[in-house]
Amino acid sequence: MANGICIFAENYKNTLEPVVGELMSVANSIKASTGEKIIAIVLSSNCDNLVESLKALGVDEILAVNTVEDTSFKDEINSHIIAEMIRKIEPTSVLIPATMTGRSIFSRVAAKLNCGLTADCTEVVVDKNENGNYYIKQNKPSFGENVMVTIITKEECYPQMLTIRPGVYPSVEASEQNVATVVNYMTEVEIPKSKLQVVGITKAQASTESIVGAEVVVVGGRGATGENFELLNRFASKLEAAIGGTRPLIDEGVIPFENQIGQTGCTVRPKICVSLGVSGAIQHTEGIKDTKLFIAVNTDESAPIYNLADYGVALDFKSVLEAYLGD
Amino acid sequence: MKIAVLMKQVPVSNNVSVDPDTHALIRSSSEGMINPADLNAIEAGIILREKYEGEVVAFTMGPQDAEKSLRDALAIGCDEACLITDRALAGGDTIATAKTLAKAIEIYGEFDLIMSGALSTDGATGQVGAMVAEYLQLPHVSEINGVDFADESFQITKKFQNNIVELSCEGPASVSVCFGVNSPRLATLRTKRAAKNKEITVYTNRELQLAEQEVGIAGSPTLVVDSFAPEYQKKAKMLLGTPEEIAEQMKELISIERGKN
Repeated sequence: MANGICIFAENYKNTLEPVVGELMSVANSIKASTGEKIIAIVLSSNCDNLVESLKALGVDEILAVNTVEDTSFKDEINSHIIAEMIRKIEPTSVLIPATMTGRSIFSRVAAKLNCGLTADCTEVVVDKNENGNYYIKQNKPSFGENVMVTIITKEECYPQMLTIRPGVYPSVEASEQNVATVVNYMTEVEIPKSKLQVVGITKAQASTESIVGAEVVVVGGRGATGENFELLNRFASKLEAAIGGTRPLIDEGVIPFENQIGQTGCTVRPKICVSLGVSGAIQHTEGIKDTKLFIAVNTDESAPIYNLADYGVALDFKSVLEAYLGD
Repeated sequence: MKIAVLMKQVPVSNNVSVDPDTHALIRSSSEGMINPADLNAIEAGIILREKYEGEVVAFTMGPQDAEKSLRDALAIGCDEACLITDRALAGGDTIATAKTLAKAIEIYGEFDLIMSGALSTDGATGQVGAMVAEYLQLPHVSEINGVDFADESFQITKKFQNNIVELSCEGPASVSVCFGVNSPRLATLRTKRAAKNKEITVYTNRELQLAEQEVGIAGSPTLVVDSFAPEYQKKAKMLLGTPEEIAEQMKELISIERGKN
């Protein structure tokens, strides 16, 4: 009988990704209805730190695999191990961060287990079916952000696997009081070989470093060109901010490709972010993480950027910046 | 070098709404086009072919009218095209779709590289490329920025957390290409005309011979059970007032945040 809520403890270089704390919030909300335990699955060349971080998040159990070598980017290996872990646990649900790594590994896991994988959920709702069994309504945006669809997993195809969009759910607070965790290491799993070799990992060019490490970032979208860009530029200097942009700004050649934020560009984690004329398509918002203060200026009050930003200004950014700069 | 490019015909416009009573999708237009990231995959494939010879075959699964997108792919520079279409295949989720595509590739012939666009503009799951690789038992790298061939191996670049990761892999292999990593070439009037008369291979399930319970809705572990208009849970608190008043509020918010550690 399947039981348990799994969360995938995504990590890189033996550091837990902050989004795992967000998965924990979702897992807690499922547990509140179903009463199932929460099991973190983690694999790494050295799980020790990760296990401690996971305990602090309050998981009930941890299943860990020490891979000896770093298996980052080797999806064949990682998906094989994870599929074995899931077969062993037999959970009813598996929560995965909707990140490059999560999508990439768990697509293969889903194919191996012949279970589904619902992408990019923004709402997870527990309901009961006519047999009295709990199931998860997996709500996700489709067609840009214009429609929400509800997806369910056929009962014979469990576990219910879903990726959760980062930044939607709040993270649980880590606490050293959480000590009731049972830790199991899975040693019997075979670690396959991969033809894929990591040849090198280098920091993205220096020019992006200014934006990547910046405490304050100003992001320009469609419309931030010409004299508007001039204005944005002065605003950024005043804030001592780095300038990033979405694709239209890159296409116009106003700022270099290296300063593109989002799926094809870089990820920024500024303390303060001000976006100007950015609508907030997922391709872009995936690149903005962990802001403490996010102010979005966009004339369209229904723009998805307002689901992410802390404060919104539904005015033409030109008038706001002119007022800010005292023009 | 034989390259397969998996592409998807997506709606030109994402301007879709939901009928509040029936919850059916209402589309402003049914016009389709090649998914933008798939154009980047096609371009990357054509560049490889130009350097190392060989051919690029475009595959798509969809209704009959997806043929239009395949003709576009031929006009851009793909050498061959394969349409996978059958009522029995309709309504499949990513698992059922990937299984079908993998079977089609298998019976079409051997390939050194399977490429796809990283994400589609409609469903945006980013799963099918990796799932096809799993069914074909190939190594796969998702969301890459570039691929070349040297020393008998594909040399793959991928951006990950502000790092440039360089990977190397012997073929056959599979990759999904990020949107915007190259500038897709355009068809000309002449290539469009030539594409019109090219033969397109059509596979129905008669050729694929997949069991009914493996494809379409029956072969999908997941089901779409509802669609509804998003209730924007607007997180942002809207700042109100004249531009001057708003500017003052912004200054205050920013200075408070700067003061924190």
